[in-house]
Amino acid sequence: MTPVLELRGIDKSFGPVQVLHDVDFSVHPGEVTALVGDNGAGKSTLVKCIGGIHAVDSGEYFFDGKTVQINSPRDAAELGIEIVYQDLALCDNLDIVQNMFLGREHRRGIVLDEDTMEEMAARTLESLSVRTVKSIRQHVSSLSGGQRQTVAIAKAVLWNSKVVILDEPTAALGVAQTAQVLELVRRLADQGLAVVLISHNMNDVFAVSDRIAALYLGRMAAQVRTSDVTHAQVVELITSGRSGDLGLTNGVSA
Amino acid sequence: MRAGPSQEEIRRHNLGALLRHVHLGGPTSRAELTSRMGLNRSTIMALTADLTAAGLVREELPRETGRAGRPSLVVRPESARVYVFAFDVGVDRLVAARVGLGGAILDRRETVRRRGPFSLEEIVGPLAGFARQMRRKTRPDTVCVGAAAAFSGGVNRGNGVVRFGPNMGPAEDVPFAEEMTRRLAFGMPVKVGNDANLAALAEHSRGVGVGCRDLIYLHGDVGVGGGIIVNGQLLGGHAGFGGEIGHMVVNPKGRLCGCGSLGCLEAEVGERTLLEAAGRVPGAVSVATGPGAVPVAAGPGAVSIAAGSGADGHETPRSGADGRRERLIGRDAVRAVVDAADRGDIVAQAALSRVGDWLGLGVANLVNVFNPEMVIFGGMLREVYLGSAAQVRSRLAVDALSASREGLRLRTSALGDDATLMGAAELAFAPVLADPLEALARAGS
Ligand SMILES: Nc1ncnc2c1ncn2[C@@H]1O[C@H](COP(=O)(O)OP(=O)(O)O)[C@@H](O)[C@H]1O
Ligand SMILES: [Mg+2]
Repeated sequence: MTPVLELRGIDKSFGPVQVLHDVDFSVHPGEVTALVGDNGAGKSTLVKCIGGIHAVDSGEYFFDGKTVQINSPRDAAELGIEIVYQDLALCDNLDIVQNMFLGREHRRGIVLDEDTMEEMAARTLESLSVRTVKSIRQHVSSLSGGQRQTVAIAKAVLWNSKVVILDEPTAALGVAQTAQVLELVRRLADQGLAVVLISHNMNDVFAVSDRIAALYLGRMAAQVRTSDVTHAQVVELITSGRSGDLGLTNGVSA
Repeated sequence: MRAGPSQEEIRRHNLGALLRHVHLGGPTSRAELTSRMGLNRSTIMALTADLTAAGLVREELPRETGRAGRPSLVVRPESARVYVFAFDVGVDRLVAARVGLGGAILDRRETVRRRGPFSLEEIVGPLAGFARQMRRKTRPDTVCVGAAAAFSGGVNRGNGVVRFGPNMGPAEDVPFAEEMTRRLAFGMPVKVGNDANLAALAEHSRGVGVGCRDLIYLHGDVGVGGGIIVNGQLLGGHAGFGGEIGHMVVNPKGRLCGCGSLGCLEAEVGERTLLEAAGRVPGAVSVATGPGAVPVAAGPGAVSIAAGSGADGHETPRSGADGRRERLIGRDAVRAVVDAADRGDIVAQAALSRVGDWLGLGVANLVNVFNPEMVIFGGMLREVYLGSAAQVRSRLAVDALSASREGLRLRTSALGDDATLMGAAELAFAPVLADPLEALARAGS
């Protein structure tokens, strides 16, 4: 199966500090790829490179097998890449429907009436089996953390994204809401999307991921099938960049 | 040689197949039915007309607009008119519901059960009462086409006689189906199935397992139940007692199970074990981590536990009469352990890790024997899996054969707390889906 998104040899520096070193990363449709690594390993930076927020210094970017140039967040969005950042970009004073259409209507040159928008939003939430929000005309300010994540994720689905990237979506959530977000993440992939999940919680990672990509000090230590590794191996990859045959040798990908 | 099926048999079969499509798939356009059922347009039209005349489906213009072209009529199940009664007998709760064709829960009643031995009357009385209440509220043009119950315990397939599970009471045979039928007196038999078996079927037909031919469902409800679907069929065994995954022995030197054995899966991963290991059962010794030597649990009933969950699901620890703090039980208690582990409680983390280890071992055995495409964690095991997945999958990576686990998908139940209830509803709908017009005629008489 060809990856929907593939990066090869990505380097990225901020001034004199090189944060990403020769990173390869691929993401497959229908799968959840967990991106793990210690604080400062470069996860968020990698995601921002994918999303066109940071320009890369060098490396190749393939989408659906073809080379593409990503120079802005807009380029990434056009390809169908949706990123839900740690600080959710939702507008508190707008309702759920308005948020799901925010910044989109004019971009695609479509003008939609309120009823149609409401129905599309409702159907999207329904297709994701989201039953936790009382009314889709509720202001986002009245939602819990988990519900906000849900709305942000549903927005990605509404716009037919192909790749959805979630940067620590469960970090601030309680157990019940975490469970709901994890199940939603799984459902997105089961519907055919490629999902990237950044998380520090190994249970979350093992609960829903098909592959695990481990970054160590800005290098991709290994990208493995979740079913082939143990918790201990993943922890080793995160903390030392290698585990047995897996990982970096002398700081370079094996 | 037997003659081929008659025209009438073919029609009956097709009527059932079409009804099943809209029952499980929701409103479907004629065009879609035509291509999915592999029949021609005029046949679909005739079948739809028959089902419409019988009041089982309704044809409508689709609500959605905006798409170009002439919209195809959509066939919808008559959810508000045609319904079944579904019952769920769990260790902690009794549920009765009116479920419409298409799977919508139209009405439901539930009561919390205090733990302890069950008597038949204690189960049948409230359930029959709920059903009569709900029936009184229905409109005159509605029709009940079946009734079935999911039961937490062994169910004899032949006669609906149940044997209480170890968490329910003494292991004796009880004529549950017969008694439910008599007490309801709705003029139709009440069918009974094992709750985890039925939940497996529900997940298979309208849950996370749609499209899987081989799946295993594990149900956590104090103990652990299971349903194994092989090549699209539930594995019932000789008398219907198959699939008791919870009583697979994983640890012969392990904890005492309610069934009398040592180290059954349910004894190692059940609610009581998790709560004891997490130090959340009063009077119990905290259990060591890892599959080493562990204290044997006190038998069921040795520890006083109260239903501590309010109707709103909030945690409400209460004080016992003797002043000792009684703890949460059931789902809320399990969730509280996962929550504590998430917030850094080391004892809770160790308890989950230990339980996850045994759960992974159990699943690894199942994967090696059945090579399922999917394993589904339902009931309390949903929380347990999500809270210990690293441990569960590490075990699988080590103990399951790589060929057997390739392509394996681990999922949580899509139907959640309603999986067993929905399974009962599907059992009740079976006759009307097999032969719609005949079943309807029987129901109307
Ligand atoms: N805009 C920036 N300017 C300078 N340094 C940055 C910037 N963003 C991130 N970094 C640095 O890059 C490294 C990787 O950070 P980040 O990608 O946020 O890691 P992670 O998400 O894995 O915790 C850190 O050392 C961080 O300080
Ligand atoms: Mg980060």
